[in-house]
Amino acid sequence: MNPALFLHLMSIESRRLLSYRVDFWITMILTLIVQLVVIWALWTAIFAESGKDIVAGWDLQGILAYGVFVFLTGRVVRGGDLQMAVATEIYDGSLSRFLVYPCNYCFTKYAQQLGNIFPDIFQSVLMALLIIPFMESSTTVDLNLTGILMCLPSIFCAHLLFFMMGLLPQMVAFWADNVWSLSVMMRMVTMLIGGATFPLSLFPDSMQSVLYMLPFRYLFEFPTLVLLGKVGIEEWITGIVSCLIWCGFFLLLLIPVWRRGTLRYTGVGI
Amino acid sequence: MIEVKNLRKVFRIHQKPPGLLASVRSLFRREYVDKVAVAGADFSVGEGEIVGMIGANGAGKTTLVKMLSGIVHPTSGEARVLGYNPWDKHNDLRRQISLIMGQKAQLWWDLPGADCFELLREIYQIPRPEYESNLKRLTEMLQVEDELNTQIRRLSLGERMKMELIAALLHSPRVVYLDEPTIGLDITTQKAVRDFLLSYRQDHAPAMILTSHYMEDIERLCERIIIIREGELVYDGNLKRVIHEYAPYKQLTVHLNRAETAAVDKDYLERIGKVMEEKAGTIILRIPRDQVTSAAAEILRKFSVQDLSIADPEISEIIELIMGGNEKPQR
Ligand SMILES: Nc1ncnc2c1ncn2[C@@H]1O[C@H](COP(=O)(O)OP(=O)(O)OP(=O)(O)O)[C@@H](O)[C@H]1O
Ligand SMILES: [Mg+2]
Repeated sequence: MNPALFLHLMSIESRRLLSYRVDFWITMILTLIVQLVVIWALWTAIFAESGKDIVAGWDLQGILAYGVFVFLTGRVVRGGDLQMAVATEIYDGSLSRFLVYPCNYCFTKYAQQLGNIFPDIFQSVLMALLIIPFMESSTTVDLNLTGILMCLPSIFCAHLLFFMMGLLPQMVAFWADNVWSLSVMMRMVTMLIGGATFPLSLFPDSMQSVLYMLPFRYLFEFPTLVLLGKVGIEEWITGIVSCLIWCGFFLLLLIPVWRRGTLRYTGVGI
Repeated sequence: MIEVKNLRKVFRIHQKPPGLLASVRSLFRREYVDKVAVAGADFSVGEGEIVGMIGANGAGKTTLVKMLSGIVHPTSGEARVLGYNPWDKHNDLRRQISLIMGQKAQLWWDLPGADCFELLREIYQIPRPEYESNLKRLTEMLQVEDELNTQIRRLSLGERMKMELIAALLHSPRVVYLDEPTIGLDITTQKAVRDFLLSYRQDHAPAMILTSHYMEDIERLCERIIIIREGELVYDGNLKRVIHEYAPYKQLTVHLNRAETAAVDKDYLERIGKVMEEKAGTIILRIPRDQVTSAAAEILRKFSVQDLSIADPEISEIIELIMGGNEKPQR
């Protein structure tokens, strides 16, 4: 696929997101407020109950910061509303037109998805700037420039991994009519074991060791830990490399699935 | 340019029975029925040729076009388009073909036409000068210069269809599939589309396959037609010749003088030919080709005739007969 087309698709998506969607801002702010209230109420209660100052390496202010930033980075990683686009296009037959074009369908989708990332980052940064002044300092996390710089590549890799992992259940649409529930389930599990609700270090030890071997943590937990200064440079590099290896793994899985899927595709609805 | 050999497509359809109990049962034991959409098609289309594909709803036209454009894999059989196997989806082939679906919007819904075309320029990697001149010529011809900056979803059906046509021809494809390109358009726009297609053919000599339910389209655009019935090709040949091959009769229309009107003997007429209509002094008869002249002579002798004409039946009538499976080829 030629780079000009890729950039063009990206910029169209970015402009679309920034220009004519009021709900882009409203949903963002509303969900953020809900998230803030929930994590604040939840963790204050838990810490008060336990009577400890530090739980699994987090103090109250630290875990609240995690809650805020995993939400903000997670939004960027998950991207806009493309999560069901592929399944929908397979289901209603609008995939057909892309099959006639001399370009790779999944690349065009990735270009669109990547077009989401800049408006999302912009928005998340803006929200972070609004919230940071209200945050109290913590002994267990350290938000500084190095962390922020290291976080950006981790977010890009996580974004790519999320895209590829998301494609797989969507392509089930070639075989089954209703993949919506499957996708929602996958999403919830992914969020939970990827650390989008709380850090994996709060899971029981036996589960932790399993979860650290799976790709999910690179989606949400890893970029957030990097941002909060909890990841050393060496660990950061291994993290990024493992994330990319997982991307390669899913790519190898996606290619035959796509082949077989398009073989079965009947282009319904025309 | 297009070669098709024994191409078949059988859809395996999962039966969804009505009712809750039945659908629960079908979760465990699925029942399939095989639906033959295209039952072994053989034909070829040459350069500069527009072939009209005609058939009733559900005859398999769209399925055939989908296979030839590489969207759907056939169950068996072969096809070669510009030397490529279409469902290999080779980019060199895809750059040279185009598909227009009248029933389905293909352009990006949220973008104005101008932006869609710009994207297509990159998808097809059309050199800038060629793109500019093509775009200018196509938009002028279809008179949509003023709508170029309107979002596709805000256009009327006809305006959108014109945009789709431009989008499909920007890269000067050598093979064009048109699936009902004039559906739902008004007569003027239909004509504009037809003229547009003819002029494209003149400039580029592409191979085109056109499906349409409007006889006018077929008669104006196609010298050759393929009639498809329940997935089978039942006629492939010259449009004009279809009459000679399938219509063993001619139509005789007689206008009688007023005085004669009362005195027509129906039984007598039935002996000459099949009476299609008989009222107020006008009689329409269907008469076997070889008996037309003698029948006309007899009528002229018997009645006081004001006017008499002999004509071939309408092509659309014949095609309807063939599509419905009631044809009696005269061989
Ligand atoms: N995706 C599909 N899955 C299952 N069956 C299909 C599918 N597409 C078409 N069919 C069946 O194949 C047959 C041919 O359909 P097709 O769309 O090719 O007809 P058509 O000639 O284009 O008709 P129309 O004039 O109505 O557009 C129909 O009986 C239809 O039910
Ligand atoms: Mg059709």
